[in-house]
Amino acid sequence: MSDKADVWQGTLALMILKTLESMGALHGYGIARRIEQTSGDLLSVNYGTLYPALLKLEQEGYIESEWGTSDNNRKAKFYKLTRAGKKQLERETRDWRQTQEILAKFLGAREQTS
Amino acid sequence: MRSWRAWLMRLASTFRKRRSDAELSAELERHLQLHIEDNVRAGMSPKAARRDALMKLGGVEQTKELYRGQRGLPWAEEVLRDSRYAGRTLALRPGFTVTVILTLALGIGATTAVFSVVDRILFRSLPYPHDEQLVSFGVRAPFEGLEFMLAPEYAVLQSQRTPFESMTSLTPGGADCDITEQNPVRLSCPVVESTFLSTFGIRPIVGRDFVKEDGRTGAARVALLSYHVWRTRCAGDPGVSGKVISVAGKPTQIIGVLPADFEMPNLGPADLLLPQVLDEASLDRNNPRMLLRAFGRLKPSVTIEQANAALQPWFEDSLRFVPPQFRAEVSLRVRSLRDRQMGDSRVGAWVLLGSVVAVLLLACVNVANLLLVRAVGRQREMAVRAVLGASRARLVRQALTESLLLALLGGIAGCGLAFGLLKAFLSIAPDGIVHLQKASLDPRVLLFCFGVSMMAGVLFGVAPAMNEPAAGWIVGRASGAAVRGVFRQTLVAAQIAGSVILLASAGMLLRSLWNIENVPTGLDAQHVLTAQISLAEHSYPDISKQLAFLQQVEGRLGRLPGTGLVALSDTLPPSGGTQATFFASIEVPGRPRVAQGTGGMVGWRMVTPNYFQALGIPIVRGRGFQEQDRAPTEQPVILSQALAAKLFPDEDPCGKTLRFTAFDRTGPRRTVVGIAGNVKNNGLTAEGDPEFYIPWKNDMETYVGRAFVIFRTPLSPASVASWTRSQIAEIDPTVPVEFAAMTERVDKLAARPRFDAVLLLLFAAIGVALAALGIYGVVSFLVSQRTREIGVRMALGAEPRSISGMVLWNTGRWTAGGAVLGLLGSWYCGRLLRSLLFGVKQHDPWLLLTAALILLVTAFVAAWIPARRAARVDPMVALRYE
Repeated sequence: MSDKADVWQGTLALMILKTLESMGALHGYGIARRIEQTSGDLLSVNYGTLYPALLKLEQEGYIESEWGTSDNNRKAKFYKLTRAGKKQLERETRDWRQTQEILAKFLGAREQTS
Repeated sequence: MRSWRAWLMRLASTFRKRRSDAELSAELERHLQLHIEDNVRAGMSPKAARRDALMKLGGVEQTKELYRGQRGLPWAEEVLRDSRYAGRTLALRPGFTVTVILTLALGIGATTAVFSVVDRILFRSLPYPHDEQLVSFGVRAPFEGLEFMLAPEYAVLQSQRTPFESMTSLTPGGADCDITEQNPVRLSCPVVESTFLSTFGIRPIVGRDFVKEDGRTGAARVALLSYHVWRTRCAGDPGVSGKVISVAGKPTQIIGVLPADFEMPNLGPADLLLPQVLDEASLDRNNPRMLLRAFGRLKPSVTIEQANAALQPWFEDSLRFVPPQFRAEVSLRVRSLRDRQMGDSRVGAWVLLGSVVAVLLLACVNVANLLLVRAVGRQREMAVRAVLGASRARLVRQALTESLLLALLGGIAGCGLAFGLLKAFLSIAPDGIVHLQKASLDPRVLLFCFGVSMMAGVLFGVAPAMNEPAAGWIVGRASGAAVRGVFRQTLVAAQIAGSVILLASAGMLLRSLWNIENVPTGLDAQHVLTAQISLAEHSYPDISKQLAFLQQVEGRLGRLPGTGLVALSDTLPPSGGTQATFFASIEVPGRPRVAQGTGGMVGWRMVTPNYFQALGIPIVRGRGFQEQDRAPTEQPVILSQALAAKLFPDEDPCGKTLRFTAFDRTGPRRTVVGIAGNVKNNGLTAEGDPEFYIPWKNDMETYVGRAFVIFRTPLSPASVASWTRSQIAEIDPTVPVEFAAMTERVDKLAARPRFDAVLLLLFAAIGVALAALGIYGVVSFLVSQRTREIGVRMALGAEPRSISGMVLWNTGRWTAGGAVLGLLGSWYCGRLLRSLLFGVKQHDPWLLLTAALILLVTAFVAAWIPARRAARVDPMVALRYE
């Protein structure tokens, strides 16, 4: 297929939340493109899975959606972060950092011993 | 939290699917547009741009599918879809559906209703903590139905080591008492020992329990109120203890209130509890023959048998007080409180429960049968579905949904039926079935029955779907049909057996009922009205006052207008009991007394001269009483035929003299003036005690405070009653009078057997109906399975008659097998029913044969319809069948 990495399970939600935090209200296509761009085009988002993920976040109350008008005056569904979503983002970010540190230490240690 | 919210959102979105679908389409379209525009801007041709956009999205429909999976509750939607489909299939075959639902409803409804009735008798614990430790104990003697204890012997036991943690007693007869305050009312006031509540583990909800001092001679008078009286008379005043009320004219202090669910261990009414005075002083002073009912709470891990053994020395010792010739007839009895309470309700309850469980089983077998038949009928449909790609799990789920839907509908109908049946039971039930009025639909039982029928439905509904659909099914070659045919026939045979047993049992009870209703009571109940007069102790404290009152009553009522007879007596046949004495205590001059034993009991009543004529009791020899017999100097007696035959087997008793040493020890000799016909006086089925009559005099020494007035009159009972009321009210308006037609009193005695017989007959009818349904279902199925074979036979020249004969013969074999099994079962059940039967041989061959015959005829008719259908099969159609 392609040499780009797929978005792995569970991280898509975090990426969506982060994207919405930094970009404000955005439509689905915009979110997908933004994620790809942010990753320096290293990641390829499966657009089909994006919409169920958005729905799930909305059901959980982390984001909310609204039909609005895009830059070139056409209607689109815009998503934006809620207060609960902000908190969730902070929490998940913290968790990821922690995981990252642990893994870094772990991998670093291995390199030293070997 | 979050997951709950998500779940709710998903649930909500199942209800606005359409809008959400439209929105998603718009959103995806927009997505594609944006993507295509981007691609074009990046230099792709419009066509390639579109292709790329679609590829990256992974297809519009696929995305929608993914989205829907997240949106609603997919499994719930599927269940909904399945049930809708199941509902449609069921509606397509209303005959089948209605039959299954009705069958289930009958099974569930009848079982639940009956269980709700017997539950309290057989299983529900009594309203006392650790009720299994509670026993009733005492001495059994021929003159008293229940175990009892004499007060001095009880006192001896109190000072000894007993197997009881605690024991208590109450004074039988639960005296009536009157609250004589603003509005006087008659209440039931059982008299109990101070340890009563603590032994039964009950605590007053307000105030205190009795203490030992309350039971001393000369202690201040105290009482515990029942919850009901507390609510109605004291308006539930929490500060009621300490108040003084007037009980039977004496100031009595209320010390507490009983809990709402309080129940006397003898199931008697209780409005007020009074302490029993039982100490040395009272024992000396009172009648030493005072009877008590004793109860005990066994020490932990002591069994009833052990308690019985432990009490034996005390019992042997107490026999000292019993005259030697009676000792053989006296025994010790310790039994559980439940046994004492339920008495003979138990057998009836077990019989009802057994019959209704049989009905439930029959219903389950029927449902199983019908579902099996149907499953085979749908083999082709299943095979087609499997070929079209339905997974086995999917097929099973579909079958399951259908069965569950059926069970659910049947269950709902069953609940309704149970409710109706219970109401019907209560309305036809006689008095005296323990706790019946308290019976209510038991949700546990309803659930249980529901579960059983669900199980039956699921098991037999799903089992066929578990098979891999075989390719042969599509062309109508059913596999394994023969094997399952045998299984079904066995089920039907079992059904027949069950129905025969039910029918035979119902038949025996009906015969017994017939016998009971035709027992000669010895009296003519037509045109007889009775009035019961009770005199309150406080306003008529001594015998002379009571007799004076009754003398006035007799005088006034004797002026009854029209041609009528009025008589007075102290007790009334056929169920009022009598006063009684030992046969051995009757002394005939010049003859030795009975040496051993009591000789059985002899009843007696005091009656006015009109008594025999008013009740239509024939004087078979000598004469009846006359007015002059009531003079103080006259001492006549009239014997019943049974007593006369026992006392004077080969002589004419008229003119003989005798003396009743037990109740008028120093009394005069009495002269036999006549012999009256035998009368039932302890119910219809009980052996009537021999009895004698003495004239009602106005200067007697014993009187019980209760009298019956008997009217034989062509006037309407209502007018006689109102006339009597006004006459008695003129003497004393506070005296209560209760009227009952004699026919009513006699009728009541058969009420209990009638109740049993009606219920069992109902179940038997249901059983027969179910069996007929089952046979019909199976035979029609077998016929439809063999349509082709029948067609071939017909084409080869078989007569229609031989075809239907073949079908009938096949059914007949199984039915006969079931009937034989049923007869064996009925034989056994006859033994269980023995104690409910009256005048019926437990193994009446005619009854058994009739039951079997009814079933055989039913089976024949049920098989006849499909058999005829088979005979009318057109060979051409049959060969092209399927």
